[in-house]
Amino acid sequence: MHERLSYYVKRDSALHRLNPLTKFILVLSIILISFVSPWYWTAHLLLLLGIVPLCFLGRVSREFFASAIRLIIPAAGFIFVMQSLFQPVGQTIIFKFWFLDVTQESLAFAFRIATRIAVMISAFTLLLMTTHPSELMSDLTRRGLPGQFAYVIISTLQILPQMQAKAQTIINAQRSRGLDTESSFLKRAGSLIPLVGPLVFGSLVEVEERAIAIEARGFTSTHVKTSLHDVPDSSFDKVMRWFLVALVVITLILKIWLS
Amino acid sequence: MALVNLQNVTYTYPITHSPVLQNISMQVNEGEFVAIIGPNGAGKSTLCYTIAGFVPHFFKGELTGTVEVAGQESSKSNLHEWVLNVGLAFQNPFNQISGAKYTVFEEIAFGLENTGVPREEMKPRVEEAMKLTGIGDLADRSPYSLSGGQQQRVALTSILVMQPKVLVLDEPTSQMDPIGTREVFGVIRTMAENGMTVVLVEHKVEWIARFADRVIALHEGKILMEGKPSEVLTSDLLAENGFGISRYTSTAREARNQGLWSKARQLAITLDEAVAGFKQ
Repeated sequence: MHERLSYYVKRDSALHRLNPLTKFILVLSIILISFVSPWYWTAHLLLLLGIVPLCFLGRVSREFFASAIRLIIPAAGFIFVMQSLFQPVGQTIIFKFWFLDVTQESLAFAFRIATRIAVMISAFTLLLMTTHPSELMSDLTRRGLPGQFAYVIISTLQILPQMQAKAQTIINAQRSRGLDTESSFLKRAGSLIPLVGPLVFGSLVEVEERAIAIEARGFTSTHVKTSLHDVPDSSFDKVMRWFLVALVVITLILKIWLS
Repeated sequence: MALVNLQNVTYTYPITHSPVLQNISMQVNEGEFVAIIGPNGAGKSTLCYTIAGFVPHFFKGELTGTVEVAGQESSKSNLHEWVLNVGLAFQNPFNQISGAKYTVFEEIAFGLENTGVPREEMKPRVEEAMKLTGIGDLADRSPYSLSGGQQQRVALTSILVMQPKVLVLDEPTSQMDPIGTREVFGVIRTMAENGMTVVLVEHKVEWIARFADRVIALHEGKILMEGKPSEVLTSDLLAENGFGISRYTSTAREARNQGLWSKARQLAITLDEAVAGFKQ
């Protein structure tokens, strides 16, 4: 049923083997640099020379380009169109659309913003594809992230599809007793109201049972938690992380210095 | 000395006025299999929570009397330490899945991770527990992709792997179909045969007759009767107080009233006993 619960693609690659925290920092620094760099072409270069090679290194190029077509290109394209139409900068009018002026400057601005957004989404996609969520969380827990926090994130990821399935069951049950869910928009919106009760109150009851269940398995134990899987953290990872942090700092300094 | 020892336990939930458990005293010896029966609202689940430490630590409320397991007193302990003494599994298998793990193997190891068991020790313990409950072939599946019976066996294994001294099971098969029920009882039987001390709340009387060493009948928060399954489950007291009894027992009782069942013979609980009784 729900065997596939995340974007994670199980492969063996250099990127998969990288420590989750290193990958997380890598993704954050790519995004930060593309947003704060004073040089116009940074985001474009990071996308072409950073993220695209990384997805080949992670052996997830097929899945990555599939999600690029489905998600990244439409999102970035939408932002490009909106920004070029509504950004009131520049004098060099290229063409007029209704009352809106599309200028050379607004196009350039939109292209940059859209690429930054594309970098952000694709960097996170890459992280999710090459990092198992529980691996990331157990690594962060080991480094001092509270166990409760990690639990909330992971269990939310897992329970959402279950909630969806349950909502569907409730809707089907109500439809079989004549609830109208297929006519006008207002009627459909109205028909969601009877769904809320069983779904929300049912979930609240479940919360108590789940609390008992995880409590019964020592969730609040004061022992230092251990982890079933060993999450590798090589000296290369450590060097890499400091290198990335340094790059971000340098970019920030350049930005402040040049502005 | 008894492994589980309850003395004059009375308990009231925070939002209610009358006590759910009234002056309960009971013992469970090491390796013993005790079944608890009772109509709805008799306090069976509360009794389970009390032995497992969730009363009073989780539900608060007012508890008097003493609850001891292996000489330790529950009210003087913490819940997260107490769960190492008493393992608890309950009805809904779905809600017992932690939600924090992606495979059955990781799910079973969850309790060991929480209680700080070293990694080298974890893997063999999980493997051994899975072997005992016969779910080795599910190791790499997602806990959410399993059937109810399989999920319940995973839940039992997740508790068993923590090696509690007592296992408290609150109607573990009430949401199972007949196949799931058989699977789960298979696991419970294996655990009992391996010397695990078990306290089981169950409605399915025929299974109790086959497995339990002793039966405690709970009624309106008090112990109504206690003894061997063959005595308690066929007692007229149960039928009079609205307990769920085996259809074979009701049939045999009716037959006795009609003079078809020998007065000297104990009433039947299972199909085999009924057949033997009528053949006579």
